[in-house]
Amino acid sequence: MNALLQHLGISLRLHLRNKMALLYGYLFPLIFLVAFAVLYRHERIPLLRHMGELLTVAVLGGACFGLPTTLVSERERGVWRRYRLTPIPTWAVVASTAIARYLIVLSAGLLQLGLALAIGMTFPKHPFDLFVAFTFVAFAFIGLGLVIAALADNVPAVQALGQCIFLPMLIIGGVAVQLAALPLWAQHVSAFFPGRYAVEALQATVSGAGFGGARFSLLALALSGIAGCVAGAKLFRWDAQQRFSARSGKAWLVPVFGAWLAVGLLAEWRGRIAIPVDREVAPVARAKVKVPPVAVAPEPVRSPPIESPSAMVGASASTGTVMPPPAGPVAVMTPPAVTPVEPVVPGRPLTPPPPDPLWMHITKKEIDALDYNLPPDHGIVSPMAGRDEEAEDYMRDQVESIRSKLPFWPPGTDGDDLRCVRNLLYVAAVPDAIQLPVERYLPRVVFEYLIDTYPREKLTKILTWIAMTPEQGMVIDDLSDLGVEGTAGDPMVVRERAYLYAIKFVARLTGRVEE
Amino acid sequence: MSAKVLVRDLQKRYAGVDAVRGVSFAIEPGEIFGLLGPNGAGKTTTVECLVGLREADSGQLEVCGLDARRHPQEVKQRIGVALQSTSLQDQITPREALKMFGAFYRQRTDPETLLKRFSLIEKADARFDTLSGGQRQRLALALAFVNQPELVMLDEPTTGLDPQSRRELHDDIVQMKQDGCTVLLTTHYLEEAERLCDRIAIINHGRIVATGTPRELMAQRRGAQSVRLVTGRPLDLARLAQLPAVQDVAGKDNEATFHTTGATATLGALTQWLGTEKNEIIDLQVRAASLEDVFIELTRDPEKR
Repeated sequence: MNALLQHLGISLRLHLRNKMALLYGYLFPLIFLVAFAVLYRHERIPLLRHMGELLTVAVLGGACFGLPTTLVSERERGVWRRYRLTPIPTWAVVASTAIARYLIVLSAGLLQLGLALAIGMTFPKHPFDLFVAFTFVAFAFIGLGLVIAALADNVPAVQALGQCIFLPMLIIGGVAVQLAALPLWAQHVSAFFPGRYAVEALQATVSGAGFGGARFSLLALALSGIAGCVAGAKLFRWDAQQRFSARSGKAWLVPVFGAWLAVGLLAEWRGRIAIPVDREVAPVARAKVKVPPVAVAPEPVRSPPIESPSAMVGASASTGTVMPPPAGPVAVMTPPAVTPVEPVVPGRPLTPPPPDPLWMHITKKEIDALDYNLPPDHGIVSPMAGRDEEAEDYMRDQVESIRSKLPFWPPGTDGDDLRCVRNLLYVAAVPDAIQLPVERYLPRVVFEYLIDTYPREKLTKILTWIAMTPEQGMVIDDLSDLGVEGTAGDPMVVRERAYLYAIKFVARLTGRVEE
Repeated sequence: MSAKVLVRDLQKRYAGVDAVRGVSFAIEPGEIFGLLGPNGAGKTTTVECLVGLREADSGQLEVCGLDARRHPQEVKQRIGVALQSTSLQDQITPREALKMFGAFYRQRTDPETLLKRFSLIEKADARFDTLSGGQRQRLALALAFVNQPELVMLDEPTTGLDPQSRRELHDDIVQMKQDGCTVLLTTHYLEEAERLCDRIAIINHGRIVATGTPRELMAQRRGAQSVRLVTGRPLDLARLAQLPAVQDVAGKDNEATFHTTGATATLGALTQWLGTEKNEIIDLQVRAASLEDVFIELTRDPEKR
């Protein structure tokens, strides 16, 4: 035990003295964090929805590069040969190396978390679950790191092998690029890489339901980890003279990739491939029922009209999860209090007299107070084509088809005006969230439809109200009846994008943006 | 007292080659035993089997009274090993290395004592990558002593060292013997073996070809002195070989080397012959057979012999 602790202590100390290791272990994940913070700067809570990805990158870097680089370079120098001359069993040194690596990635993860909190991220919802999920992720990737160390004969081979596993996981494995943004085939491929489950498990504990939402992911990580550690131990080489190609027992690689395959097949079998859609997304819309989802979440209404919603600032909102709109002067404006109303049961007519909708009382002051500091129209987030900008040939048909269907699209025509406008915003928001080629053109189509359908003043008020209460209403994530394939999967993203388009539209309606 | 190391009919084959083909020897407690042989003769393989780095195919291996093939871990507790070119992590310091390696054993020596004994005090907290070759080798020796071993095995400990460092290391090895330690030393420096070893085994092509004290081995060639001759004009080597008691003539032009079993008779005839030929002697050296001569004789390729 003393031997193990001594070796652990030395391993950690040497890690801290190694500039390259520090660069890979700490600076690299921080660069990712900063890059993500910049890339997703328009999200309302910085980085909250990306902690799973960021922590996974930190563990992947430490376990798939850091661990095998240390192991293989020590083996090349003969350090492991020297250990072998002592009575300490090889497994004990391997275990202590793995534990040291766990502590190193844990410290990198904490550093990331700390920085994210400093930037303004809210505290993870389930901190204990996060710690356990992180441990599972580290276990899975340390197992993988041991396998890479066994496969690689020298340090350049570690780099090459590591990249072969790291890059696909980053790009089509759901680690750096959100699965929702990937084509379906890539989502199928991602099910066979542990990276996806790492992100899912971590994200569930940061902003989701905790373990409850991550059981399959944890199982997948445990399986990959066990297979990796067993194979890594069986294939372990302490002598650099033993080349991998010349050694026996290569069959131990089968369980490693077998575990990945089994997890992928299990995911396919259980239909877990398409990214999980949050329960919050309107079930009616997903089921393509032609009746607008009146009953599910009534828009806030109140009976006695008051002069202005801003008069109610400070009174608590009764809709439960309402979050203040993002930054700037808007942040101080909580949505007006709403007198709770009885949930409306479908089929039962609304009791007369119908209450006055809140948006009617929006004032110029509130319109001015919106945060017009918006992402550029030519960027990745909430792009919007100019008035005279024509879609390229190959997508023109799709854009025109959606334009012609909009006036007959039930969620955009049935129900009260606020609901319809909000739903129409999703026609711009969902393609943006999933980065469809038509994402630039649909906002223009929606905007033109809105101007043609609603009086400008009324539309401005409704849009302002939506921008002030982005958490309200149900999200429609499935636009397949308009011919848009794919779903964003995360209602938060769709809400954010709808919020951004609402303000972009207000900016155009009020002349803040010249057209 | 029984032997510290007993090797009987050790066989080891790898990569399709018989590296060791029936090696047997015994090392008595307290002696410095040298294992000599050309590169690839099987020295390192023999040592690696003894220290548990390789598994022997067959044969008996007894170290410190223990069956080394059945209880390798127990053997490791009692021996110290310094392999050729031991390298540690760049960032580790000698003090840390001694402390950590000490923790791997039941019995250990205080790092300070070892740092002093191997003159590493000044470099105790320097990173490994800043140590000189001699300092690294001294650290390797110090590491071999962390567990107060009864037996140390040193595999080519002075290879690649400058003469000064080599001399210091020789003193260290002699000190080990004086401290009551048994030492197994492999080397291909013959003067090192001659100077340090109580007994020597010469290994060639995986077999022991001679064993004995340096004196005994040299005695095998007693009476066959070697002669080196340089003359003013070219020599007729065929004529030289016909002189009394001359053997193994080699050389060309006006240089020759040969052995003689009767130096007086040979030299008498030689000076007479050169005198009649008016060929001046420029250099003439006669010396007794050295360990090197024995070694070369024993390890020479049979076809060239």
